[in-house]
Amino acid sequence: MIVDCHTHWGSVWTKQDGDDPRKWLAVMDKHGVNKAFMFGLDNLHRLDLCRADNDRLARLAKNGGGRLIPFGSAWPQQGPVGVEEVRRCIEDLGMPALKFHPWIQGFSTADGTFGEICGLAGDLGAPILLHDGTPCYSMPEQIAGLARRFPKTRFVLGHSGLLWSWRSALEAARHPNVWLCLCGPHMRAIETICRRADPDRLLWGSDFGFGFADSVRYRLAVFMQADIPPALREQVLGVNPFRLLDLA
Amino acid sequence: MIIDAYCVLGTDREYDLSAEALLRGMDQAQVERAIIAPVDRYLAVNNSVGNRFVSQAAGAQPDRFIAACSVNPWYGDAALEEFKRSLGEGARLLVMHPMLQGYIANDELVWPLLEAATREKIPIYVHTGPPGNATPWQVTDLAERFPKLDFIMGHCGATDYWNDVNEAALAASNIYLESSLGRPFTFVPRLSVVGAERGIMGSFAPNNELTFEWAQMREAMPHEMWPAVCGENIRRLLEKRGPL
Repeated sequence: MIVDCHTHWGSVWTKQDGDDPRKWLAVMDKHGVNKAFMFGLDNLHRLDLCRADNDRLARLAKNGGGRLIPFGSAWPQQGPVGVEEVRRCIEDLGMPALKFHPWIQGFSTADGTFGEICGLAGDLGAPILLHDGTPCYSMPEQIAGLARRFPKTRFVLGHSGLLWSWRSALEAARHPNVWLCLCGPHMRAIETICRRADPDRLLWGSDFGFGFADSVRYRLAVFMQADIPPALREQVLGVNPFRLLDLA
Repeated sequence: MIIDAYCVLGTDREYDLSAEALLRGMDQAQVERAIIAPVDRYLAVNNSVGNRFVSQAAGAQPDRFIAACSVNPWYGDAALEEFKRSLGEGARLLVMHPMLQGYIANDELVWPLLEAATREKIPIYVHTGPPGNATPWQVTDLAERFPKLDFIMGHCGATDYWNDVNEAALAASNIYLESSLGRPFTFVPRLSVVGAERGIMGSFAPNNELTFEWAQMREAMPHEMWPAVCGENIRRLLEKRGPL
């Protein structure tokens, strides 16, 4: 079982395929990926398209034969409307988790409404995955700060610090409610993270779907060729994703 | 000639690459020569320890290895002396790592070093990507200020400066793009914008696995780009100082 825990449905796919994920899934098939956590792109780039993109993700999941697990998003800048959109994603659209991209969406992790959203997500049992590795709103330390403030909420560092902040990601993962998605660090960093972090809180992802470029091929190959115990590799790819979502 | 434009030789915190292991990887990947650079620790401090280690390794394999050197500009005149000493031992590339060395890439602190590199016809490899102090447009500033010097934008600003890379490179003709950490699936499309004559393949072994990176690049790169990007472009820059 392989679950890709970091993918997007980009605007180019909507333009090409509407709500039909078959071609998108064909890329996953090519690499033996069974399921994917799917985030939007429009909902992260444009406030005015956020709600519609959340709806689209829900439809894609319905059309995806059970292989796509949609993550909704919202904009804290909208205040109560943003909080309500989070509730709608989880309770009405049935999304199990949320995705935020603070530097693209343009809000600080210290934003008050975002704090409300983090609290709500904890109450509803929905993990929050964030872009990380980029200042000034998306550093691992800032997400670790959220983890301290909202101990009931599970936070996923969507990139494990990317290429230059993976040591910070390891520090953030000292908090028991912080998970790391291995989507971005180089091979030696991935191996180090796998040696030092809690094996129960590691995920893998490709970041596929922004455009048509096949990032799964490279990123899955990096993970498969890295010096990681086979049992841990299987756990990261096929067990932990379900544990994160309480589906194990 | 197939050249890997950036490998790190020696031992540091998470890696250990010996000359023997590097040669094995190069043979497997059909790479004829590799530029070898000091490990992180010796980019930051005690530069001469790393530079001497690398130049000795290159001297032992003159047909396979090409030495790169690095000096921390905070050492001032001592950095210039160490740079000259390293050139005397055969170094052909100067490495800047603003994050590890503690400055902003376009800081005037580095100008004396770049003036010396211009006189010596030594290209500059800049590790880009670390937020704030090693960005593509900072390399453009340097390239404009030192138009006779060639700058290799290591890692193409990966990850989150990827948006800036093409425009920053197009703004100055003396900027070249190095592939490592930039990933083949994004690096190759860049070259259709910036030009294959400005692309340079580097594996950044052992942070990346050399044979793996070369195999991935072989699959991603059109055949017609291969000779230039995987050897001839970096060779052209290195040979401004003289034949390899």
